Amino acid sequence: MMENILEIKNLDKTFGKETVLKNINLSLKKNAVVSLLGASGSGKTTLLKIIAGLEHQNNGEIFLNGKEISNIKPQRRNIVYLYQEALLFPHLNAFENVAFGLRLRKTPEKDVKQKVMQMLEYLGMPNHATKMANQLSGGQRQRISFGRAMIIEPSLLLLDEPFGALDSTTRQKMQELFKELAKTMQLSALFVTHDLKEAIVMGDSIGKIMKGHLKQHSDLREFYEDEESGVKKEVEFWKQFIN
Amino acid sequence: MMARKILQSIFIASIGLPLAFLLLLSFGRRWPYPEIFPKELSLAAWGFLDNSNMISTFFLSLGISFSVALFVTLSAFFISKHIAYSKKRNTFMVLAYIPYLLSPVVMAVIFQYYFILVQLTGTTLGVIIAQFLIAFPFGVIIYLNFWNENLKSIEELSKTLGGNAFQTFVKVLYPLSKNAILLCFFQVFLISWFEYGLTNLIGSGKIKTLTVQVFNFVNEANIFYASFACCLLVIPPMLLMYLNKRFIFFAEKSE
Repeated sequence: MMENILEIKNLDKTFGKETVLKNINLSLKKNAVVSLLGASGSGKTTLLKIIAGLEHQNNGEIFLNGKEISNIKPQRRNIVYLYQEALLFPHLNAFENVAFGLRLRKTPEKDVKQKVMQMLEYLGMPNHATKMANQLSGGQRQRISFGRAMIIEPSLLLLDEPFGALDSTTRQKMQELFKELAKTMQLSALFVTHDLKEAIVMGDSIGKIMKGHLKQHSDLREFYEDEESGVKKEVEFWKQFIN
Repeated sequence: MMARKILQSIFIASIGLPLAFLLLLSFGRRWPYPEIFPKELSLAAWGFLDNSNMISTFFLSLGISFSVALFVTLSAFFISKHIAYSKKRNTFMVLAYIPYLLSPVVMAVIFQYYFILVQLTGTTLGVIIAQFLIAFPFGVIIYLNFWNENLKSIEELSKTLGGNAFQTFVKVLYPLSKNAILLCFFQVFLISWFEYGLTNLIGSGKIKTLTVQVFNFVNEANIFYASFACCLLVIPPMLLMYLNKRFIFFAEKSE
């Protein structure tokens, strides 16, 4: 049986009088990707920020590799949170952006060069190493952002609608790249999206947040069977054009 | 093309001529009506530099303005961040404008009683504190536009990549805020450098900055000494303007 890398138990979060997340329970297996679906304002981003340590829950526990991490600072959690925007550091070139986490860890220069060039090649961007963020396209920026996160080998990757700002062609390419990276680098990730198809494509399993409540499905089949998931409605919609 | 050149020349002349005239006046000796220029030129006013009081006045002004600019630049940087991300950002913003609505000299009248109580009137420290109180909100206003949601996200990202608060400041916030920091320092330095009313009131006539000295010469109708003091007065701002142009405008252009 595969062990869980992330376990969230009975987590609540309120902002003032508004309850954003209520009794959240979630588990994520090692080297697996869970897609989190939900409409805007459903609490997806808040949940990711709490896991990353950028927000604090009112109640509940978060376990990473079996260790409770609620009181650990974000920089010590080894969890990287990626935003919808690539957010490359504008004063650094692509190479230095990817090297950022290694430099924070004072990795020897020789290793930095080797690892970063290896990562850039892996991302298909070795010729863009000296380019600044404003000289890269949206898709290229997002690749560098992935490289910057993965080079430090985080225990967990949190992706908050990372392809939301991309056009459909680039988005599809990035989905394929991420799937490949996740498999090769054995990533454990929570992938937040409001796009049903993207959630199905990217996740090994799916959770859906509605009005602060999370419902996690053990596999895609179970998700399909759930009337609230919206998959059946989507299938019915496309069927009408076939018949 | 011709019209543009004429307009450019007028613009340069409008800035350059008063400065040139100021320099000329500082060498003047006799200027009877209705002569356009002084009738005699002399180094008498500039000989005043030998007078140790004038040099010490210059360096006292420099010290006060540098201290005020430094304290405001540093403190406003960190405090403005908390204000920018607070829910009451707009309220603080309105409050920051109050010293300018009341004018510094009115603020000085308000401060004066308390400064007398703690024996700060007539002291350099008192003038520095009073100018700090006036310039600090201005520093906050300059920085407020720098802090935004995008920068907040970049800062958070640096943390999740493993950066502690110090590393995040050195490797991310400082490089991104360099222009705002320089701008704040230059602007506050200028506010302090040309401050007269508040400095005169809190300094009780004992703290003679260069600006205060210029007004003293003007009040004495000593136009040549006043011009000489003005020449000293414009040197640091012009130097700052040069540095500003070189480091801020150039940096922005090359980005």
